[in-house]
Amino acid sequence: MAGPVSGTVHVTAARAGRGRRAPARPGTLRALAGMAYAAPTAVIVLTLFLAPLVLVVVMSLHRWPLLGAPTFNAPANYAKIADDPLFPGAVVFTLKYTAIITVLLSALALGLALLVQERRPGVGFFRTAFFLPGAVGFAAAALLFYGMLNNDVGPFGFLGVKWTGTPNMALTSTIVLVLWRFAGFNMLILLTGLQSIPVEVYEAARSDGASRWQVFTRITLPLLRPTLALMLILSITGSLLAFDQFFIFTNGGPDNSTVSMVMVIYRNAFFKFDLGGAAAISVVLLAVLVALNTLQLKVLR
Amino acid sequence: MRYYSSRSALAVLFLFPLLWSGWSSLRGQDGGYTLGNYAQMARFGEGLPRYFGNSLLVSVITVAGTVVVSALGGYAFARFRFPGKNLLFLATLAILMVPYATILIPLYVLLGYVGLQNSLVGLALVFVMFQLPFATYMMRNSFEAVPKELEEAAMVDGCGSLRALIGILLPAVRPGLITVGLFAFLASWNDFFAPLILLNDGSSFPLPVAVVSMTQKTFGAIDYGMLQAGVMVMAVPCLLLFLVLQRYYVRGFMSGALRG
Amino acid sequence: MFRRLPAITAAALLAAALAACGGGEPAGSASAGSSGPVTVTMWTRAATQAQSQRLVDAYNKTHKNQVKLTVIPTDNYQPRIAAAAGAKQLPDIFAADVIFVPNYTSQGLFLDITDRIAKLPFKDALAPSHMRLGTYENRQYTLPHTLDLSVWFWNKDLYKKAGLDPEKGPTTLKEFAEQATTVQEKLGKDGKVHGTFFGGNCGGCYVFTFWPSVWAAGGDVMNEDGTQSLVDKPPMTDVFAIYRSLYEKGVTGPTTKEEQGPTWTGFFPKGEIGVMPMPSTTLGSMPADMKIGVAPIAGPDGGESTFVGGDSVGISATSQHPDEAWDFLSWSVSDEAQVEVMAKNKDVVARTDLADNKYSSADPRVVLINSLVAKGRTPYALKFGQTFNDPQGPWLRLAREAVFGDASKVASLNESVNQSLQQ
Repeated sequence: MAGPVSGTVHVTAARAGRGRRAPARPGTLRALAGMAYAAPTAVIVLTLFLAPLVLVVVMSLHRWPLLGAPTFNAPANYAKIADDPLFPGAVVFTLKYTAIITVLLSALALGLALLVQERRPGVGFFRTAFFLPGAVGFAAAALLFYGMLNNDVGPFGFLGVKWTGTPNMALTSTIVLVLWRFAGFNMLILLTGLQSIPVEVYEAARSDGASRWQVFTRITLPLLRPTLALMLILSITGSLLAFDQFFIFTNGGPDNSTVSMVMVIYRNAFFKFDLGGAAAISVVLLAVLVALNTLQLKVLR
Repeated sequence: MRYYSSRSALAVLFLFPLLWSGWSSLRGQDGGYTLGNYAQMARFGEGLPRYFGNSLLVSVITVAGTVVVSALGGYAFARFRFPGKNLLFLATLAILMVPYATILIPLYVLLGYVGLQNSLVGLALVFVMFQLPFATYMMRNSFEAVPKELEEAAMVDGCGSLRALIGILLPAVRPGLITVGLFAFLASWNDFFAPLILLNDGSSFPLPVAVVSMTQKTFGAIDYGMLQAGVMVMAVPCLLLFLVLQRYYVRGFMSGALRG
Repeated sequence: MFRRLPAITAAALLAAALAACGGGEPAGSASAGSSGPVTVTMWTRAATQAQSQRLVDAYNKTHKNQVKLTVIPTDNYQPRIAAAAGAKQLPDIFAADVIFVPNYTSQGLFLDITDRIAKLPFKDALAPSHMRLGTYENRQYTLPHTLDLSVWFWNKDLYKKAGLDPEKGPTTLKEFAEQATTVQEKLGKDGKVHGTFFGGNCGGCYVFTFWPSVWAAGGDVMNEDGTQSLVDKPPMTDVFAIYRSLYEKGVTGPTTKEEQGPTWTGFFPKGEIGVMPMPSTTLGSMPADMKIGVAPIAGPDGGESTFVGGDSVGISATSQHPDEAWDFLSWSVSDEAQVEVMAKNKDVVARTDLADNKYSSADPRVVLINSLVAKGRTPYALKFGQTFNDPQGPWLRLAREAVFGDASKVASLNESVNQSLQQ
């Protein structure tokens, strides 16, 4: 196993040096081989991702009817984003949801990872139990909760709580669903990081008389940083694009209190048939995400 | 004992929804226990075996495609230098950042143009694309975790990079491959929205679309027993696969594959 | 060379994709000139699957050409149509909630069938409101496919237990409220039985169940061309007020305010509700031993009306088989199909001249429902779906404030309804 913080940047740099030193293999030949291996990825990314993406950008510059010829109208689709009565609320809600989920999910996943990091009899069972909800598809999980939190058929009817009845309860229920579904996966990511911290580091700290809390804050957390960074990026990106959970589970309600940004895109494209407008919001959202992730990578590295 | 009691309580919390779903899928309208919900589902539309078969076909193609493409790509990104490498890698990761809902319409247009409209193969290709960020990242790091000396020894012996890959590296990254394959399976087996949008013909629908149709067949009344039976039919194969492959994917993650 | 190959491929594909999008030419592979039996494709939403399937099966049994039906989840039907239209891959025939038809016709999704309809001998008897919504700029695009009317159902057993006359249903909305209140007061103590119920977090449910009371009182909810909302005025506000007091007195079922629509008709068949507005199509699926009375929806002080909902069906603008598709459509409204398929299964017939047929006469309730087709209304608005049905639309906010929240906000919320209608 590699060391705890073997950032890929260093590895690549080291390898690059080595490649230049190998005289037997001309660099061009090896570069060609590399391109050959990367070719399937390139074909898929270009044809199934970048090409449709370019089409989305083109759509965002046109009035794009369902049938018939599109007409160029830039920048009208971008200009009217702010006029959408749902959009400002959706931005605020999505940011709020992202903040809450990211904090809770990180805390829960880290807690679970710490609980099951030691090798002991039975620990495999606990890891499996926490991870198993991740095997259920997100749509299926949302349908499951939809039934379980229905007071007529669900097991919690006796509590008399209206699980999706008020804005706060609807958000809380959705968060519970997301935590249940994703905590195990994030736990596993963090477990990877925890396992790669050498035992000697802990032993040294303990022999220096560090308390458990000190070990956690001074050793575990700093050494876990690259793994935490990865988890944060996945969680933030996923939350900013949240759709299924609200679409299936709360339907944006009650009173539009759980409308996420992607739900606004969906509504524009599929309910109002405004493909150009939906594309414009998507382009803006994509640009924000790319910028945000670049920033995050820079800060967290 | 305290070690086990707190963890057991948490485990119960995590397993409870699955157990409840399984239990309520076996309850009939009158409150008794019955397989009626499953029997009713089996007869719906083209019949459950058809939808199950469609799902299986899409998932198998997706898994095969994802594993092959990401293994080759991961190898390239981990071990080679070539022009455009970083750009391609970043473009692959950027797939994560696109709202699913918007890119499906252009994809639909595109697949139609290359003659893959209404095709399970076309759908599987779309799933492969959506799996690439995770799979490529995972495979690149898996390859990086393999000591370079292994591969270099083979190269010195006169093996080409392809033979080194097949003979030496692939066995070494097997946990990573299985993890990537497993997640590709889960994603393609469970996805609802892409098949709903990309397939035109009811007889090629996979399970999730069929299940949702079943539960909405009468206006204004959901059959909750059937809903949970549908959840179970979708979830049980995944749960089983998860349990069977457990030792591999845990090792796949542990082999440093997801380190930042 | 190698490096540029994918880039070239992608560029070519992209150009092709753009061309496919920009051009008006449908990219169908089947040639129309081929002889032999033709398979026509048709889509319908899951909610009306039973009726569509029966029609298709009966047609396929007696015809050389075959119709292949694909059922799509109800909540996702509109997105599915939008995506298929965007990719020019609509099926030959598709049904749609009648309310969405004006929007679809204005988008050019349906083929103009004015001249074909003109040749039908019974063209004047086709369900009038469905036909009106299928007309755009004086051209006709759709035929009625299924009809679903809103009516009041009352539970005769509960009425008897509550001391009401089980044979006398409500004739005004005020009587409706009184009877519901009596059921609640007499039988509601154990928390199982409730006076009434409605989908309180479901825009389409409000439209379907509340608006007939407005029409029955001689009022309206919108102007003629569906661009100006009148829901901030009486009689709509009177209707809101009556339902509001029912909610405040606890006469409505406990989940009324949260009901998003998927389960709103599920409580009545369980015998938990005294009297409530219901879709007529559910009559055939009620428990056999349940005694149910059916009454037309009335206004606060009388009158009668109904919301004529259901599906219309048309040929897609991109169909390669319009003649074969029309053969099925015209057959589906023929005497044979309407009586032997629709009426036989207690469904509402799509033609007023067949309201009284050999099957309906067995059940006076069915005759009543059939007779309402001519009296009922289907509101017309180009932006109907996004204004009234969409859970994020402005109407649902307004209705919820009027019934559960701050009724004084109705006036200002009506402005956003107007904005949405005029977009």
